[in-house]
Amino acid sequence: MNLVWGFLVTAGCVAAVMTGQVDAMMTSVLDGVTGAVELVIGLTGVFCLWVGIEKLAEESGLIDTLAKAVNPVFSRLFPGLKGLSRPLGTVTASVLSNILGLSSSTPLGLKAMAEMKERFGDRDPGFDSMARLVILNAAGFCIFPSGVIALRAALGSRAPAVIAGPTAVAGLAATVGGLLAFRFLSRGGKPGDRRW
Amino acid sequence: MILSALGTYAFPVILVGVPLYAASKGVRVYETFVKGAEEGLKIAVGTLPYLVAVFAAISCFRGSGALEFFASLLGNVLKPLGVPADMVPLLLIRPVSGSGALALTGDLLQTYGPDSPMGILASILQGATDTTFYVVTLYFGSVGVKRTRHVLASCLIGDACGFLAGFLVWRLIVT
Repeated sequence: MNLVWGFLVTAGCVAAVMTGQVDAMMTSVLDGVTGAVELVIGLTGVFCLWVGIEKLAEESGLIDTLAKAVNPVFSRLFPGLKGLSRPLGTVTASVLSNILGLSSSTPLGLKAMAEMKERFGDRDPGFDSMARLVILNAAGFCIFPSGVIALRAALGSRAPAVIAGPTAVAGLAATVGGLLAFRFLSRGGKPGDRRW
Repeated sequence: MILSALGTYAFPVILVGVPLYAASKGVRVYETFVKGAEEGLKIAVGTLPYLVAVFAAISCFRGSGALEFFASLLGNVLKPLGVPADMVPLLLIRPVSGSGALALTGDLLQTYGPDSPMGILASILQGATDTTFYVVTLYFGSVGVKRTRHVLASCLIGDACGFLAGFLVWRLIVT
């Protein structure tokens, strides 16, 4: 992240000076940080709603039931969470929300991150599970990409949903590719003796 | 279509189903919901510094013309593979900025028509992945993890796989 951040800022500033677009760059940066605050404010309501619902699911035992139901599949994706219904249930709810294209995916995902951090502290077995959740949700595999379909419909498409199948194939490839890349890149590390 | 119905009705079903189920288990619904909402507020506010940092860097990159420069470089590499030049900026911006990618896709759909081959390709690429930088920043930022190790690289490799798969499927269906 440090490298990427440094690269984006350096490349941006060098390009701005070379092309004489310093003013445009400055406006863009100021708009960007304002946009970040607006985004958080906009998201806060959605977060409150879904974490509130999640709390109800948690206290009524629904999350535990969900975790038990998916344990055979999800404990393969998240070996570090095998049999632990608390992070696993929330992780599952987030990933399923993502697949269905629901707005609950991000708030539940962050709740799951908090639960994993609480459970494992800042040591390695937790990091592995967190990383897998991030990779799954960053690839955003979705069976019905409602945003793109709505956009196509709004622009007068006769068959807005034809792209759903190909998009799902691409999303699946992004998910599998990301997970395999992570496995490959983090091989050789001894779990437990690295700090973040 | 079953899938679209699943997407549409999952929301109301969860919204009414979970509180009803909780009530049937004797959970105090209102108090519990508010407790959760408070947690949601903390999570949302905690992500702010991380998002500001990432948005600043991305805006700097986009607003300065650096994005166009790298898009033209990448375009030259991808040209022999048959990737249309107009799609290259979308490939670069998709993992970086959600709103930027959506605007660009809208632009492409309007220029070429949503049902044209180019419009279909833009739609597939737009849906192939989520906004990787945003997700990585938000998720790790919310728990205060500053070192993300190989996760960002892995996600970007995943994005490339998604784009490639989307492109290959597109070639199959348009030819």
